[in-house]
Order: sequence, then structure tokens, then C-alpha cells
Amino acid sequence: MNSERRLSVGVLGAGLIGVDLAVKVERSAALDLRLVAGRTADSPGLKRAARLGLPVASRGLSSLADLDEPLDVVFDATNAGSHAEHAETLTPLGTLLIDLTPSRIGRMVVPTVNGAEVAAHRDLNMVSCGGQASVPIVRAITRAHRIDYVEVVATAATLSVGRGTRLNLDEYVETTQDALREFTGVGDVKAILNVSPARPPATFRVAMSLIGEGLTHESVHPLVASAAADVRAFATGYTVTSCIVNDNKAFIAVEVTSAGDQIPAYAGNLDIINSAAIRVAERCAVERRPIEAMEVVS
Amino acid sequence: MSQQAAESSPRQPILIHDPTLRDGHHAVRHQLGRDQLRAYAAAADAARVPVVEVGHGNGLGASSLQAGRALLSDEAMLSVVRDALTTTKLGVFMLPGWGTTESIRLAVSYDVDLVRIGTHCTESDLAERHLGLLRDAGVDAHGVLLMSHMASPERLAEECARLVEFGATGVGILDSSGHYLPQDVSTRIAAIRSAVSVPVIFHGHNNLGMAVANSIAAAEAGATILDACARGFGAGAGNTQLEVLVPVLERLGYDTGIDLYRLLDAADIAARELMPAPPTIDSIGVVSGLAGVFSGFKNRVLDVAAREGVDPRDVFFELGRLQAVAGQEDLIEDVALALRAGSTGQRERTASHV
Repeated sequence: MNSERRLSVGVLGAGLIGVDLAVKVERSAALDLRLVAGRTADSPGLKRAARLGLPVASRGLSSLADLDEPLDVVFDATNAGSHAEHAETLTPLGTLLIDLTPSRIGRMVVPTVNGAEVAAHRDLNMVSCGGQASVPIVRAITRAHRIDYVEVVATAATLSVGRGTRLNLDEYVETTQDALREFTGVGDVKAILNVSPARPPATFRVAMSLIGEGLTHESVHPLVASAAADVRAFATGYTVTSCIVNDNKAFIAVEVTSAGDQIPAYAGNLDIINSAAIRVAERCAVERRPIEAMEVVS
Repeated sequence: MSQQAAESSPRQPILIHDPTLRDGHHAVRHQLGRDQLRAYAAAADAARVPVVEVGHGNGLGASSLQAGRALLSDEAMLSVVRDALTTTKLGVFMLPGWGTTESIRLAVSYDVDLVRIGTHCTESDLAERHLGLLRDAGVDAHGVLLMSHMASPERLAEECARLVEFGATGVGILDSSGHYLPQDVSTRIAAIRSAVSVPVIFHGHNNLGMAVANSIAAAEAGATILDACARGFGAGAGNTQLEVLVPVLERLGYDTGIDLYRLLDAADIAARELMPAPPTIDSIGVVSGLAGVFSGFKNRVLDVAAREGVDPRDVFFELGRLQAVAGQEDLIEDVALALRAGSTGQRERTASHV
């Protein structure tokens, strides 16, 4: 693929998520990182991005909106309350938004579940770290069984939970619950988030409990294994640690380690949502190419 | 209290905060019914206990498979206890990540007098938004740090200072695992006292038989809000025993404003109406206190250990090694499986958790 066909990309937000995302964009053959935009020039994240040789700017949204050539894709790694304004400014420029905040504004995407839908939307929402880690497995089970209740408990290490997430705990809970309902069709769902002070830090972990008649180890186990293998295609540190079925209840726990980059191994919460977002952007790059080719022909 | 004169000179008054109907829920799998809540709340009110806290053991919005499903909804609990109280204040508890702003709004709609927001010991900023909301709503709001034995006195003091900045009108620490000895409490409360000017809270658990002594150490170091439950009703080995703490405080010269006979009556009602048996320091209680693991894990540890055929004491020590915190009950399953397999998590999970 030649460089003209790569999608031009901006990252808005230079926190824990934003900087790691920018590094992942740099590594992608389908994506061309143009700018990492933070809000303050002396923020630790933006300084780190600059030290890594990434193109940086410090005027936030306007740094991206004022570029001569509008970006194909902007990842929003700020906070839920700001996303509406970002979408309002950038969408009219023809920019596709991939939102990593739990804003509940754009179309929710979980790559292994509805990745095929991405071309139809201009504002895509990556749900939450807990949503990305749980929806593929829960969805696989709910497609094969009638499930009455789903519960998803995530535990993330204190150092892996940045300021934005800390202020958005309510949004995390609500968005994760929305995604569980949307992708499984189960109405009665609950999401919980723990932030662990353990040192050394605890690896990101997500426990899923489902209640439904007729759940058996024989039926659940292969569904879980297959869904997890699909996720591992882009999030290599995704591992099932428990899968227990008894008394019409299934309990599945996964742990996610980071693939490295700018985040430590325990911070799988950052890695899985960023890897999923990159997966989505790469899919957009693939889907856009034939359209542009057709335009050239006509 | 008129029944006996103080043996010491007067000290600062102590405000007793009674979470019998919240923390006690851990001991009965969150199954208290309306009549039970009503009976105890009315008795505590008659004894002039200043604050009664009600809810699921993990607070608003916490009914779940993870921590246990409550018999009653938050609304039902709030409604019953609100109606049973005349002068005693109504308090609730919430852990951000378990309950949300919506839960707080619900509680405020039932005219709660006091909302406690809890976070793990180093995570006070998770409470920023919720404390701010309560400050704006004009509702008294405490900020409390769970699993506080996991952080240094200096760190706890810093976290408490931040809770005050966010709007907390009282701040302090929970000995969620019943791990402290009196000296641990004294140094922590003293550090917090020197960092804040609002009242300081101590909440004890009795795993090592230290709950009353620890609470007295807290008072002597300057804490002015002490938590205690009738018969020590609470998770595992139980909490500080209310009807013991109050007369001990009075003997030492701390005024609580509580009527002793009515308090003893309330405790008898609790013993008769709320619990199959009062909490006792059994083997599991000792081990979870030593291991520094939240006593609320007890029932699920016993269930899972029996299912997997492993020693529940080993499960607690392994959870302690992994530094499991309250809310991480899901880890019990993995630990029990690893113990059964004979690996005690020494391979992959060790690398990731310890």
C-alpha cells in the first residue's frame, strides 16, 4: 500500500490513552499520524509524545480543526463531556471520529462483533475498556443461550486509570451497561469498576457472570475460547483465566496484559481499547479504498 | 449517659455512626427485610444514636452477584428506615464504580442526612465528582478510605486532605480487613488530624479482637467520629461492638449523648431480630485479618472453597498475597482453581499480580 492511500490521523488528548494510541498509529501501515493535540504545552503526556518524536500541538481541538488539510480520522482521547463539541467541529470537515471516551454519542463498536458496520458511521464509540474485554464473550454466549442477567466486573490498577477515567466513572458504568444491552439483547445487566491500589499493580481483569437456564460447561467453554481467540487477533495479551459453569450460572474471567508500547504490562485496560480503536481505523482504511478508486474512475 | 460517672476528665465529644443496617448486611448475604430494618432503626433512634446508616453492604447500587444480591431495593431500604427515624440522622454509603450519581440522587430524594463516599485507600479522586455534587446539593458528605492498612499514614493524610478539598465534611479510614493494632491506628489518625480541620472518622473490624481498643486509640489520637455496630454485626469477625464501645468511651470521659439502657435494648433487638448468631472471631476471621483481606469475602470464599475442595484459609492467604481489595470477589474463583491445581497461582498470575 502506498503512502497516499494511508488515512491521515490526529489524536486529541495526550493522557495515558492518547500517547499510547499515537505510538500505535505510528506503527500502523494503514495510518499516517499527523498530530497529537493536547491542551497544555507543558503537560507530561505531550512532552513525552514530543520526546518520542511525534508531531505535537498544544491548542487542543483547534490545533486539529485549523489544519490546512482536514484529517481523515481523529481519535478522541479526552473525556466524555467534551466529545459532543469535538464531533460538532470535526464532522463537518469530513473527519471520521473514533471516540475513546464513554460519551455514548457515536455508534458503539466492538471490532469482533460489529466491526463490519464501521463504514456506515462518522462517529464511532469504543465503549470502554471493560466493554471491549467483555462484550465479545458475553455476546457469544447470549447468541447460543437464553440469558436473564449479565454482570461485568472490571478491576484496573491505580496507575493505569488516568484523570479522565477517574472523573468519568459514572459514564464508564452507564456506557458499559448500554453496550452489554445493545450487543446481547439482555435487559438486566450490571457493570462495576474497581480501581486497585495493589503494588506491584494488578493486571487488568474482567469477570463476567451470566445467569440462564441450560448453561453447561460443554456449550459455554468452546464459545468462550473462540470469542477470546478472535480478540487475541489484535489484543495479544487477552487471556481467559477462569471458565466455570454450574447451577445455571457461568463465570468467566479474563486478564489482559499490554503489548508494550507506551504502557506497562499490567495496563491491559488501556491496551485493549486502544488496540480495538486502531483495528477500527484500519478497517476504515480498507473500506475507504475501493470508494476512492470508484470516484477516480467516474 | 447518666448510669455512671466518667473515670477520666472530659474529652472531646464523640459522634457515634452506626452502620449496623449496612455493614451488618455482609453477615446475612444482604437479606435484611423491612421489619428487621424498621425494628432496629426505631430502637437506635430511641437510644439517641446520632446516625444510622442503611443499605447493601457495599452501599448504594451494589446489589450484584459479585458482592451478593440484596433482598430489598435501595428505595425500599431508604423508605423504611427514613420512616422509622425521628431524631437520629439517616446515612447511606456509596462506592464510585458500584453506585453512580443516579444512586445519590435517589438517596437525596429520600432526604438522607449524610452520604458517605468510599474509595480504596489511594483513590480519593474517584470521589471528586460525587462529593462535589453533594456539596452543591447541601448534603453532609463524608469521604472514607477503604482497605486503609495498604497505605502509609502520610499517604492517607494526603488523600484525606483531597477529600476535604472535594467537599467532604468528615474524612477518615476504614480498617476493612480488621488488620490494625492500636499503634497502627494512632499514627494514621494523628497524621490525618494534622492534615485536615474537619472531623476524623475511624471504622474498625474485629478480626484480631482489636476493634474497641483500636477505636479508643483513634479517639485518643483525635478522631471524633467512630463507627460501631450492634453486637458487632458485620462481615466475618464483625465490626466494633457498639454497646461496648459507647460505655467504654463514657468511662474514659468522652461524651456520646447516647442512652445506655436504650442502647443495650437496641443491641438485644439486633441480636434477636437481625442475625442468626452474633459475629465471632472464627478461624476465617483470624486468617482474613492477618492476611489483610476484606472480611466480606468470607461467605463466597467458604462457598467456593467447599466446591473446589480447598482450604478456605489458604484461599485467604493467597488473596492477601495478591493484595485483593474489597470488590474483587471474582478473584476468589481463580485463586481456588489455582489452589486445587496445586499451583497457588505461582506461575502466570504471580507474575501479573505480585
